[in-house]
Amino acid sequence: MTPYDKPQLQKPFKLRKSFATRKLEVAGIRSKFPNKIPTKFLVPAELTMTQFITIIRNRMALLPTQAFHLLINNSGLSSISLTMAQVYRDHQDEDGFLYMTYASQEMFGR
Amino acid sequence: MDAATLTYDTLRFGEFEEFPETQEPVWILGKEFNALTERDDILSDITSRLWFTYRKNFQPIGGTGPTSDTGWGCMLRCGQMILGQALVCRHLGRDWQWDKGQKQRDAYTSLLNAFVDKKDSCYSIHQIAQMGVGEGKSIGQWYGPNTVAQVLKKLAMFDSWSRLVVHVAMDNTVVIEEIKRLCMPWLDYGGACADPEGAGMLNGCLEGAGAMSEEGGPLWRPLVLLIPLRLGLTDINEAYIETLKQCFMLPQSLGVIGGKPNSAHYFIGYVGEELIYLDPHTTQPAVEPSEDGQVPDDTYHCQHPPCRMHICELDPSIAAGFFCQTEDDFDDWCMRVRRLSCNRGSLPMFELVDSQPSHMVSVDVLNLTPDFSDSDRLERFFDSEDEEFEILSL
Repeated sequence: MTPYDKPQLQKPFKLRKSFATRKLEVAGIRSKFPNKIPTKFLVPAELTMTQFITIIRNRMALLPTQAFHLLINNSGLSSISLTMAQVYRDHQDEDGFLYMTYASQEMFGR
Repeated sequence: MDAATLTYDTLRFGEFEEFPETQEPVWILGKEFNALTERDDILSDITSRLWFTYRKNFQPIGGTGPTSDTGWGCMLRCGQMILGQALVCRHLGRDWQWDKGQKQRDAYTSLLNAFVDKKDSCYSIHQIAQMGVGEGKSIGQWYGPNTVAQVLKKLAMFDSWSRLVVHVAMDNTVVIEEIKRLCMPWLDYGGACADPEGAGMLNGCLEGAGAMSEEGGPLWRPLVLLIPLRLGLTDINEAYIETLKQCFMLPQSLGVIGGKPNSAHYFIGYVGEELIYLDPHTTQPAVEPSEDGQVPDDTYHCQHPPCRMHICELDPSIAAGFFCQTEDDFDDWCMRVRRLSCNRGSLPMFELVDSQPSHMVSVDVLNLTPDFSDSDRLERFFDSEDEEFEILSL
């Protein structure tokens, strides 16, 4: 995961691995783990976005008052009540991975 | 004589574009105007808002700190403006108008005094900057919309005159039950959370609520709801543009704090594809209240045509604000927001839910640990260690 406060502007993972390799990996993961969604985590399909956000907030030791936003495909927020399977169905990349970026908020001063 | 006035205005405000003459409706903080027939009303409504800008020559913050906030305080000033608007709604009403040069109501004087640049004013730049230290911001550091929202929430607790509940809804989610508890803390909600029919019970409780205000209605601490959001990574996702506009159409609207990248603005409305905003980026000398507490208030109202910018220039980090004086206002807000969420083609900016999702309450429920049997199976797919996946199991 990228450091807190710094939005991930490129996708190093996508740059490091070719489309063919990524697609092959997803195919392998999906056949072996039919109930897991390939993100950078392999997460249970029935996990809700709320749960996923809670896990990441905990892993990063964020205070409840710190802003944390998960953006799907660098653009939109998802409904927190959706499951990972639903989000995956609607937003998976053509390589088969689901890409999410986390970001805090930008600061303003001048 | 007319010509002379015109020249004077043109000279003074030459850099500000006149408000456009357009058929498009103009929305300002929940009120609709016609740009062709209500021009004066629009300008007078905007001038009536409290305008907080950079100031210089105030008492040093913390005794030895900065005496001006030029170059760092713009988001703090925007925080003052959105809370100032909440206090105007609270004590004077949305329709209150500022009479330039006239003696103002006592409530207005008290209100303005709460923002004067002095260390003991409730919402002064001094108080905001010093309370920010608790949020990890040293004095003079830049704030985001969430930072200033968190600070205002803390400062409002010391404002016994306004008795506000400032609630900052995190994770793009507004939880109705949580807000009702905060605004009516004297009601017993015991067990409502665990009860599957919690929402229905809540309404039942309220009907018979014993706590009444002087006016006879059930008591409700006036609510300032601030919702920090991120509407995209570097640019605003176009799917949010319509929902953002709709925020300004809700009668409870307090506008939006945000800005262009690096520069904070207080957005109060829109016309067509342009946002209308008050800009804190003008440094004015600090104002000293007179001994009887009167504040020379000319510089606290923006008297030139308001600034405008295209919605696409908006930095995606914002906080939207709403004010609900009564419980009915809040119920009405919930109803309107639900209706907005159904619009096709646009995405809702935040989610409105009845009660806290149970998983949010207890962190222990989510003690997801790597599952080693899964890890063994996974190893075969990857040849390098740095591409390992972390497996979460329920």
